Amino acid sequence: MKDMSYSDVNKDVLRPLFTPDLAYLAVLTLTLIVLALGGSCWVYQLVYGLGVAGYHPPVFWGVYITTFVFWVGIGHAGTLISAVLFLTRSRWRTGVYRAAEAMTIFAVMTAALFPAIHVGRAWYAYWLFPYPNQRQLWQNFKSPLMWDVFAVSTYFTVSTIFFAIGLIPDIAAVRDATTGFTKKLYTAMALGWRGTDRQWHHYMAAYGFFAALATPLVLSVHSVVSWDFAMADTPGWHSTIFPPYFVAGAIFSGCAMVITLMLPLSLLFNLERYMNVWHFEHLAKLCMFTGGILTYAYFTEYYIAWYSDNQYEWGTFMDRVHGNYWWVFYTMVFCNCLAPLVWWFKKVRTSYIGLFVVSCIINVGMWFERFNIIASSLSHSFDPAGWVYYYPTWVEGGILIMSFAWFFLWFLLFIKIMPSVAIAEVKETMRPPLKFEPEHAAK
Amino acid sequence: MDFNRRDFLKSASIASAATAAACTIDPRTPIEHYLPYVQVPDDELPGVATYFSTACGECASGCGLVARAREGRVVMVEGNPDWTEGHGLCTRGHFGIVGAYGPERVEGPVSGGAGLEWDAATQKVVDAIKAAQAAGKQVAWLGGYRTGSLDTLLGEFAGGVGLRRVHWEALGVETLLAATRQAFSVSTLPTYELANAQVILSFGLDFLGTAYGAMGMMKGWAAAKNPANGGFVTRLVCVEPHIGVTSAQSDSFLPPNPGTELAVALAVARLAADKVKYPNASLLASVDTAAAAQLSGIPIEKLTEIADWITDRPSVVLPGGAANANDRSTDLAAVTFLINDICGNIGRSVVFGKEQSYGTVSSYADARALLEDARAGKVGVLFIDGANPVYNFPESDKVGEALDAVDLLVQFANEPDDSTRAKALVLPPGSSLETWGDANVTTGVHTLQQPAMTPLKNSRSVGDVLLTLAKALAVPDPAAVAAAPAVVAAGSEEPAVIAPPPAAAAMGFAHDSFRVYVQERWRRRVYEGVGTFDAWWVTVRQMGGSFRPAATSALPLTLAALPAMPAAIAGNDLALVIFPSTNLGDGRHANRPWAQELADPISTTNWTSWAELNPKTVERLGLGSTDSVTVKTASGEVTLGFFQTPGVREDTVAIVLGNGHTSMGRYGTGRGVSPMKLVTTATDGGSGALATYQTRASVSRSDATSDFFALIGSLNMDGRPIALAVNAEEAAAHPTGKAGEIVEIEKVPWDRRLEENGIHDFFPEPQHPTYRFAMAIDLNSCTGCMACVVACDLENNIPFVGPDQARRGRGMSWIRMDRFIEGEGEHMDVRHMPSLCQQCSHAPCEGVCPVLATYHNLDGLNAMIYNRCVGTRYCANNCPYTARRFNYHTWTWPESMFLMLNPDVTVREMGVMEKCTFCVHRTRAAKDSWRDVRETVPDKALVKLTACASACPTNSITFGNAKDASGTVAKLFENPRAYTLLGELNTLPGVRYLAKARHHVAAAASEATPAGAEPVEPAVIKEG
Repeated sequence: MKDMSYSDVNKDVLRPLFTPDLAYLAVLTLTLIVLALGGSCWVYQLVYGLGVAGYHPPVFWGVYITTFVFWVGIGHAGTLISAVLFLTRSRWRTGVYRAAEAMTIFAVMTAALFPAIHVGRAWYAYWLFPYPNQRQLWQNFKSPLMWDVFAVSTYFTVSTIFFAIGLIPDIAAVRDATTGFTKKLYTAMALGWRGTDRQWHHYMAAYGFFAALATPLVLSVHSVVSWDFAMADTPGWHSTIFPPYFVAGAIFSGCAMVITLMLPLSLLFNLERYMNVWHFEHLAKLCMFTGGILTYAYFTEYYIAWYSDNQYEWGTFMDRVHGNYWWVFYTMVFCNCLAPLVWWFKKVRTSYIGLFVVSCIINVGMWFERFNIIASSLSHSFDPAGWVYYYPTWVEGGILIMSFAWFFLWFLLFIKIMPSVAIAEVKETMRPPLKFEPEHAAK
Repeated sequence: MDFNRRDFLKSASIASAATAAACTIDPRTPIEHYLPYVQVPDDELPGVATYFSTACGECASGCGLVARAREGRVVMVEGNPDWTEGHGLCTRGHFGIVGAYGPERVEGPVSGGAGLEWDAATQKVVDAIKAAQAAGKQVAWLGGYRTGSLDTLLGEFAGGVGLRRVHWEALGVETLLAATRQAFSVSTLPTYELANAQVILSFGLDFLGTAYGAMGMMKGWAAAKNPANGGFVTRLVCVEPHIGVTSAQSDSFLPPNPGTELAVALAVARLAADKVKYPNASLLASVDTAAAAQLSGIPIEKLTEIADWITDRPSVVLPGGAANANDRSTDLAAVTFLINDICGNIGRSVVFGKEQSYGTVSSYADARALLEDARAGKVGVLFIDGANPVYNFPESDKVGEALDAVDLLVQFANEPDDSTRAKALVLPPGSSLETWGDANVTTGVHTLQQPAMTPLKNSRSVGDVLLTLAKALAVPDPAAVAAAPAVVAAGSEEPAVIAPPPAAAAMGFAHDSFRVYVQERWRRRVYEGVGTFDAWWVTVRQMGGSFRPAATSALPLTLAALPAMPAAIAGNDLALVIFPSTNLGDGRHANRPWAQELADPISTTNWTSWAELNPKTVERLGLGSTDSVTVKTASGEVTLGFFQTPGVREDTVAIVLGNGHTSMGRYGTGRGVSPMKLVTTATDGGSGALATYQTRASVSRSDATSDFFALIGSLNMDGRPIALAVNAEEAAAHPTGKAGEIVEIEKVPWDRRLEENGIHDFFPEPQHPTYRFAMAIDLNSCTGCMACVVACDLENNIPFVGPDQARRGRGMSWIRMDRFIEGEGEHMDVRHMPSLCQQCSHAPCEGVCPVLATYHNLDGLNAMIYNRCVGTRYCANNCPYTARRFNYHTWTWPESMFLMLNPDVTVREMGVMEKCTFCVHRTRAAKDSWRDVRETVPDKALVKLTACASACPTNSITFGNAKDASGTVAKLFENPRAYTLLGELNTLPGVRYLAKARHHVAAAASEATPAGAEPVEPAVIKEG
């Protein structure tokens, strides 16, 4: 970035905005079509009932909860990168954090769909929110699902505010580069940002404050989500290891998703100067670390199940290896424990192909991890009379694909509306321009 | 913006149209009309049930029944508690109510597919009978068994018009009758008093399932299995080819080589006779026990052991049943009577005097002869009543053609079935809940069938039709020949025999209706002259009959010659066993959706047929679990799915009877296959009964996809302590005592620090000030018959879901009958366990519901608020007993079936969780009515309160208030065999199971310390 000027940064980052090209429109149309198709699966399910999904009692939770946890997990990396790495002053976050944060918000928005998709009477899903009402309904605050409601909504609120605050200087930059109605819009969003010393002073204080506020949420959300399982008595779920194990898994999957998304983004929109192998390698290292924790957690789960000498617990864990879902288990182990090991070779973790392929494998693996936990435990519970084999139907598949379409729709819109790289922060990393330099003179 | 008048009108009309559209009623919501009565019937109060004591019409047994009617419609049937010959109501008895509201009931008489008036219909029959008589053709009757007034009326009618009567049932008793004729020279059937037997040796009688008289034998079974009864738990030895619902209870399951049951019986007879020095031993001199052992494949030592068992203790030897019907069935049954005589059981456990009644009984050969005549055009009019010959006869008999050759086929049927021919005259006799009738159960026990509701359709009972016909035909009145005595003592009434009733007791046809006929017959034959008849008649109608079982007696054995040793069935193929379905009987219940959906107690499948194959046979044929098999015999072939079970011999294939109908309404048609396609027309030499077990079949792999699936996911318990068993000797040694003395329960490692403070638990147990509703289920007498399941289904408005949903495990029954098969070989250990909501005090389901749709109430119930449920299904995941059911779709009660909905119970909508709440509407009603007198509900009003407890034919389910220390349930909770399921989870269930007592407990499940599978006392807590 040595030979770059501030205006180069503005130009680079703002280039992808606004005028969509044909390829973008094609992708957007495809996303909308998939969203419509998947959405019609949901409508079909609403009309005919959850029976159109593959539920096979006593497996009462399946693909929807799996996908919910998957997206909540994805939503972890953004805040981790933007808040925690901000506080620890990790310089490599600068290039990727904006897009990662956007990803977080969209992932949580996607996850939030699933409780409504999952419940039997979606039209009453709002009963999960405690508010004064005349039906004398009140909620059960003992239920981990209630904790979920609060954990996810808090996380969503705080992440969104944090995201919006981080955007202010950059929105102002967009404002300065636009004209007409668009300018009016961005002027409003920029909240009167002028970039004065005084504004920067307050801004940085607020940003640091929100970073500190968001940091514990990174740990709490997935801990609470894990309690949906850990607080239940089902063998394979009822385990104190779940919160750290889920948080590690969430960061693992989130970072992998960041690589999966940012890598094509940087290539397609020529942002390699801001997001490049250096950044992705750091993300890969974070994945390797959390993946290691995850592998250790898998091992610990098995060890404890064996050491407890509890036949139900051990039966469930052996069923994961030998039972109907053996293929899920081995997919999970391959994707999450073995595949990331190739990143120990620097050559692999610094090549775009190596980064992209392995990150995709991790995404798949982390979905199967949740499926492994949910489906295999429920299908092999206490009473052998209730041992069944649940497999999803096309409706669940359609809604799963719909969730990706929904997520990508928001991300595609984001790319065209917001600067995908934090302009102001990138500039911070550069040497300030000096008066005699031509660029400044030109300005 | 210009907004002129026209624009205003346009927007206003669009807005009103949109408002109107938004307010339109959802077309799926039924429109209900609430109309008041113009004249309220005297005996009817809306919201208050009316109870009718009546008789069950689902088979000829005619068991006592109480029909519960609400607003003029019967909504539930239960066993009559006053009835003496059984507890509760059997599985199939419950389907009477389903049949009454069957959507395929014909509206009125139908001839050749077109409806007609009753007068025209009866005239048609009269004309046809006259034409037949003129042409010298036969007038014949092919029906099921009929007892009581209808049998009497039919007998006199037959005498008058020369009616050829054939009464044949697929699961009939003709071999047993032939055997009693051989062995005792009488044409009556003894009653088996199982309560007086400590050893039961059964040669295939399905006495806990489909056998006639099963209700009485199940009652006896419950007493026999009770360790407190004689200090010995009855040992059951089953000599039959496969494990059915009865042999599943066996302590010793000994399937001999196919067709050699008679050899076993002969050998056991000889060994027992030698042991007890039987006076008539010369009869048995020719029996070569070693050869019999060789032939049957059961070692001589085992045969000797059996002989020791049955002679050392009071025993009963039961004759062969439907699954064991071969060409020597009568001989086998006769030999069982001989063994009973050797063991001194006649008059003790095999009793006469109180005979089972079946009315007129014909054999398969008789029925076949009739159909041959029909085929030859010799039959002018053929009545079919309570029989489905097209389905129940071997397909090679081509019964349909024979029926088509009859000039007029008159079928008494509420719904068309396989035997309904295109040009038949179908006369709907009405449901047994709508008509008058009666049944003679055993000597002295008569049940009265009285209408519990107005007929839904334009139907007339068979009796009324016969009276009309008799009058129209001017049949000479036998009553006019000899004046009937005013009173006939109970002892002298007609025995249930083939002989027509004595003319002296003739009833004649001069009665206005069958109702009057029944009453008149009861006046003459049942009424004992105590008090006025009118007062007695009121009592009878209240009680549902007259229950004065006759005294029992013995009969001398008159067996003249011993049957010869059988020859093993030749051929390299597999032996074919056809066994009746516990739920569909002989196939008559196939159009009852709740019957179809009820899981088979052994294979746990539903809505289809299956073949049972031994794992070794499966391996030999190289079958995969989703393969199906083609079973081929000389008569035909069928392709069906298979159930792999150690409960069938390697050289045998067993196929269920009951499904495979070609025309049996929307629920019965085309499900599974009919094994009657495979059966040859071989008969039993002694009785002319169909010898289904005589057929040899070859089995091969088929490419068709199997529709077999097991609702119970695991064949065995995988070593988990679920349905426990204890050693029978130990159970008998501890009939009463402390809970956990034999089965160790509740070994929860309490924390000492808590215990020092007098508490067990971090979280205190919920308060139950007056009631803690609880249930004790005795697995020892439970036979897995499914009666509780179907009773619960009907009482609680539980829908059926159909085959596609059922195979995804979405059946809604609140009780699941767990079935586990432990071990194999002689001591194969089959366990059944009704698994329902355990109403835990620390319920895992309650805490996790985010909207408090399930909560713990003061009566100890995990109550449900269906309207509050959002359907997160978290509760169901968290239930270790998997007792919760979810409404995945909107389930329906098609057409007239909604009339059977119980108005006391909410119908749950799509997306809502549901489960057992111990019939909360019944407990509420009981509490309310006893609160009126300022009392708590007494124990005796609670023990059979729930639908499942009330239905149980073996009295295995007991309901009550655990807070009442003197109550039945509280006492059972302290039984040494009592345990809580998964008690170590500290859920504190309100249900306790009493472990099964077996003479051989399978080693697979470590029964000695069932709770010991858990770490009982962790070292840390022990030290600290």
